[in-house]
Amino acid sequence: MALPTITEQNIKDLLPSVTAAIPAGHGGQKIVFRIDLGAQSFALKFALLSDTFQPDIADIDETVLRARRETQIMQECQSPHIVKAGPIELGTAQIDGQNVLYFSEELIDGQALSDVLQQNGPLPSVSVVQLGQQMCSAIDELWSLGKIHRDIKPGNIMRRSDGATYVLLDAGLAFDVAGESISAGFLVGTMAYFSPEQFDYTNRRVMDFRSDMFSLGVTLYEAATGRHPFFSPTASTPHPFTKITKHNPPPPSSINQAIPASLDKVILRMMGKFPHLRYRRISQLQEALALI
Amino acid sequence: MALFVQHGHGKSDKIEAALESKSVEGVIFGARNEKIENIEGCIESVRERHGKVLFDPQFHVSTLIPANDRFLPDYPYYKVGRTSADFVGIKKLAGYVKSTLDFQLTLTPDRLLSPTVIFDSFESNWCQTALNLADASLDYHGGLNGAPALLLSFVIGEQALGSSLELDAFLDQVTSWDSLTGTYIVISREESSYSQRFDSERLANALYLTYVLGNINGFEVINGFSDFCGLLHRCVGSTAFATGWNHGLRQFHRRSFTKQKPGGQPARPRYTSAALLSSILLSELQQIFENGKLEEVLSGVPLDAIITEAASPEESDWNARWSELHHWESLHNLEDSLGNNVADNILYLEEKIVAAQELYVGLVEEGVVFGTQTQPHHLEQWSEAISSFHEKTSI
Repeated sequence: MALPTITEQNIKDLLPSVTAAIPAGHGGQKIVFRIDLGAQSFALKFALLSDTFQPDIADIDETVLRARRETQIMQECQSPHIVKAGPIELGTAQIDGQNVLYFSEELIDGQALSDVLQQNGPLPSVSVVQLGQQMCSAIDELWSLGKIHRDIKPGNIMRRSDGATYVLLDAGLAFDVAGESISAGFLVGTMAYFSPEQFDYTNRRVMDFRSDMFSLGVTLYEAATGRHPFFSPTASTPHPFTKITKHNPPPPSSINQAIPASLDKVILRMMGKFPHLRYRRISQLQEALALI
Repeated sequence: MALFVQHGHGKSDKIEAALESKSVEGVIFGARNEKIENIEGCIESVRERHGKVLFDPQFHVSTLIPANDRFLPDYPYYKVGRTSADFVGIKKLAGYVKSTLDFQLTLTPDRLLSPTVIFDSFESNWCQTALNLADASLDYHGGLNGAPALLLSFVIGEQALGSSLELDAFLDQVTSWDSLTGTYIVISREESSYSQRFDSERLANALYLTYVLGNINGFEVINGFSDFCGLLHRCVGSTAFATGWNHGLRQFHRRSFTKQKPGGQPARPRYTSAALLSSILLSELQQIFENGKLEEVLSGVPLDAIITEAASPEESDWNARWSELHHWESLHNLEDSLGNNVADNILYLEEKIVAAQELYVGLVEEGVVFGTQTQPHHLEQWSEAISSFHEKTSI
């Protein structure tokens, strides 16, 4: 089931304070608009709800619960490297006879890291380190709230137009260590960036920030080399579980010789097959990155 | 220097002598073998000799039946015959932790050791109890101002080390504790008599445990009751290891803490050969001497003089006391050559193992006959364990 076609007029009818709405991207079950509210611009996200959705079951609807978690995280986090909530709070509506939910967030003037890498190739080492340090700040803040992002990947990181500031998006899959799981019994996230322990959903209660550290390691590897450490678009690929849990990727410097050995070491340690082989504190990882 | 005396029954002046010889850094006192009214005086004596002090509360003996607990019942945190039901509920655990740590605080040791229970599988309820006690200990310690650093104690049955999958999960759990600074690890051995043998896969996993805690995660790791194997642990990231004056203090055996039928023969005099990486019988040293190979097996420490200055080993004044002191001296000498680089340490030890194997072969060819506990099987096992360790860690 696809999202309905949403027009600028649909948005203005739904949210009269919006003065302009321009489509800004879509993916999976979401459509994003750039909207103007007075002199300020924000991103407005729509996601499809099921046909049978009724407002009185919002408290048990998975899509609504995820969106609530995402907006709650955006409101709670202070890090400049986690996207902030916008003024339009989470709501539901019917457009073209289909149920949708919407909420607004900070509009980031920039480009997704995945697009940056696709267009320009690998980042210089200094930028990889910068990216790592800023994402550490995001992971650290999420963990201080008892949360794991679970979907850190280049597609969920925006680089602001200043070229030096990175922002983590899409906390919709974030896992609350102390709370009820929204996705009990299902593997959620993007498998190519899964930590080995993420494949074991029955074991999820023992996951901690080191799972996000692994996904960040994969992201940094890709940013440093332009290649995914476990998957190649040309080679035949076994199941992600086998690749991620069994395969040891070559050091990034074997692909990009400009990468210093110290950065090799940090990235490979972040991708340790077990949490106990990674850094046990985010601060330790930050210190290691600072020494590069 | 990273060698501790593992204290036990019959200390006489052994501890003082070891400290004065500068071969040990300090002492790990065991509550079971010291009267509560004497413990402060014992600690004072160590302090006077600038030694470090740790006090192992040996709380784990409370779950052994029938316990051979000697002076433990006098200690306020100890109660004989605790069962699994005694470890259900946070309040109970918090109570055990408080009484065990509070008692240690009165002794002002250099480190506090948490109470624990012995477990034989990382998936057992007893392991979960050990983890719960560890967690409760971290919680309680977090509220103590100015207390010495806490080492979490674990007494792990050797058979638990047969599963690396379960060990990995255990390590994930232990390394997730943010306030943890160190561990005191004891491996409860299955081998019934004293020898350097250790199943290679289990030893490889034991080394991996130390490597992950000490080297990767930067915790202080003290390997209690580890004797020669302590050297291997030091190579891969252990901070210190401990061994005592008798076989029961060199390797941890559960049967030492349970009531046994009286009997057994007194230990025969031994000589610790750093070159053979083993503690051999004096009668074997005599055979080596008679084959003109004495120089090759000597440890190269000052107490060797008692042997070398005599007409022969068996005619020397070598006795249990010299043997005990010489044992610490020899291990200290070996340990002193180790640094903090795991790869370099392992290379050093591998060379020592190869040299010891060659030496054994030469001695046997000369007609020296070694007993079942002093043959070189352990060297092959250590070598295999190091290979497995290499494979697992890519070092």
